[in-house]
Amino acid sequence: MLFNLRRKLFSLIFILNLAFVFLGGMMTESRDYLSEKSKIKPLTAADLKKLVPENISGWKAVSEDQVFDPETIFNYINGAGEVYRSYNFRLLIARRFQKPEKPDLVVDLFDMGTSYEAFGVFTHDREGENVEIGQMGVYKGGLLSFWKNRFFVSVYAEDETQETKEAVLELGRQIALRIETEGRLPDLLHFLPEARLDRETVCYFHTHHILNYHFFISDENILQLGPETEAVLAQYKDSGRLPVFLLVVRYADENQALYAWNVFCKNYMPDARIPGEIKVEDGTWTVAKTRGRLLVAVFQASTDLEARSLIDNVLLEK
Amino acid sequence: MKKRAITRRDFLKKAATLPLAGTFIPAILERKGKRKEQVPTKVRVVLVREKDVLDEKGKPRYEVIERIMDEGVCALFGTSNAREAWRQMIKADDVVGIKTNVWNYLPTPKELEDYLKKRVMECGVPEEKIAIADRGVLNHPVFQRATALINARPARTHHWSGMGTCIKNYIQFVPRPYEWHADACADLGKIWFLPEVKGKTRLNILVMLTPLFHGIGPHHFSKEYIWPYCGLILSQDPVAADATGLRILLARRKEYFGKERPLQPAPHHIFYADTRHHLGVSSSERIELIKLGWQDGILI
Repeated sequence: MLFNLRRKLFSLIFILNLAFVFLGGMMTESRDYLSEKSKIKPLTAADLKKLVPENISGWKAVSEDQVFDPETIFNYINGAGEVYRSYNFRLLIARRFQKPEKPDLVVDLFDMGTSYEAFGVFTHDREGENVEIGQMGVYKGGLLSFWKNRFFVSVYAEDETQETKEAVLELGRQIALRIETEGRLPDLLHFLPEARLDRETVCYFHTHHILNYHFFISDENILQLGPETEAVLAQYKDSGRLPVFLLVVRYADENQALYAWNVFCKNYMPDARIPGEIKVEDGTWTVAKTRGRLLVAVFQASTDLEARSLIDNVLLEK
Repeated sequence: MKKRAITRRDFLKKAATLPLAGTFIPAILERKGKRKEQVPTKVRVVLVREKDVLDEKGKPRYEVIERIMDEGVCALFGTSNAREAWRQMIKADDVVGIKTNVWNYLPTPKELEDYLKKRVMECGVPEEKIAIADRGVLNHPVFQRATALINARPARTHHWSGMGTCIKNYIQFVPRPYEWHADACADLGKIWFLPEVKGKTRLNILVMLTPLFHGIGPHHFSKEYIWPYCGLILSQDPVAADATGLRILLARRKEYFGKERPLQPAPHHIFYADTRHHLGVSSSERIELIKLGWQDGILI
């Protein structure tokens, strides 16, 4: 009796997932990462250099600009270069500014190829107070970061004073002005429900290393993430003591999404009574579903109902 | 996937029972019963601090470095004077490579390098058989002939490996360091078994004078996130030295941020060096920690 009930339940869930796959396939035709990537026009170091002023508030550019590509970036920022490589960065110019008796300022201007990548790498580390510079500028501890169009920009003072802070912000403004147009946000973000979303926690990425940086899932790539997938992770407030994490991944095709869902369920919740739904060891719920090219997962929900509700809201967003 | 994936759920199962679990996901799950036979029951780590080790500009004072290093090696080797301790580490016929770290924002202090070179020379090693270097050690003629290594680097958080550690400091001994970046540099401990370095390290010094406990931006540095801890961690076991340094960094993060804030990414290479590569020990239960000098704000 119980066995029959369980079998019927599994069949129902399988059919529902198929329906999600079908509907999702129709509903996710949009400007995704792969189509943006195909339009990239290469820029040269000279193009980038034009975007950075030669002097600011008495600080002057010194020596030659340093130029790095994905192979040489480790010579400049060691292992941190992996972060920028994870976002397919193209070119970096670094310009140092000096003023007698004052701390140096350093501008790092990254050409990320697309605005999606520029936004993505910005979301990797977005600590700081919001400032009206570029797109989503933040400032903290002598460091200004922002993105605009296909560029990610960091302006850094080696010692923070009121004077360096003003110079850093002004330098940022000048660079932002020279980047003429703003960039589009990844359209995957449109899947995030607005209600109870903590906007400052939204991260956009491709690889499981970056996912693990923000929220550890597994030492293995059980979600089948990679350069051709795009993902967004965000935190939501719910009735529990922990924030709820919502992960939306878009794969190259529906088969990959379904395969990833299967691999995830097999590894993350082999003991699930209902495929894709499990109450985990800390008493919270993890629920994962696929829809077309999308895989949607919720972690740390206080109840299964809340987890399903959040996923349903993702589906309603489009 | 050949091996069973370790997931967040495995961590959740262990988190309630193990201290520091948040930092060593998922290495905690790889403990092997046999490893107890491969390392001593307890390894010694010395933490030595001196309030006045930095001058008013934050520069290390050589005479204080010399004094606390001497105290530290005496405690580490159980000797009554530093010369005796150094002679346990270095023989006159050794060729000695002092592996430092040149990271622009927080390099190995020159004063410590000078101290190390001086003590090595006092062991009878001629100057031409001593080298101090970081990048390029693989092709350095002295390092290529080295029979003894001394490993000295500052402690800091790290964008990709979670923490810049004594273990990680040997990444320059491989031709393509980026090949070791997978899974937050999980297998750095394996480097220590390459012929260039295996069995040669006589002393590890994790410099805790002004550790970096949090990083921002492409350069992962802001002076806001260093503090004058004024300490040095000494051990012959790099894993034990790093695990001790990590505990201090985590305590400082808790103090600064007002809540537990695990490192991102988790520096599990420290714990994999223990559980997977059996390079040393990471558990505080298996570390004999000797604390010398200034005790205020010790955080451990």
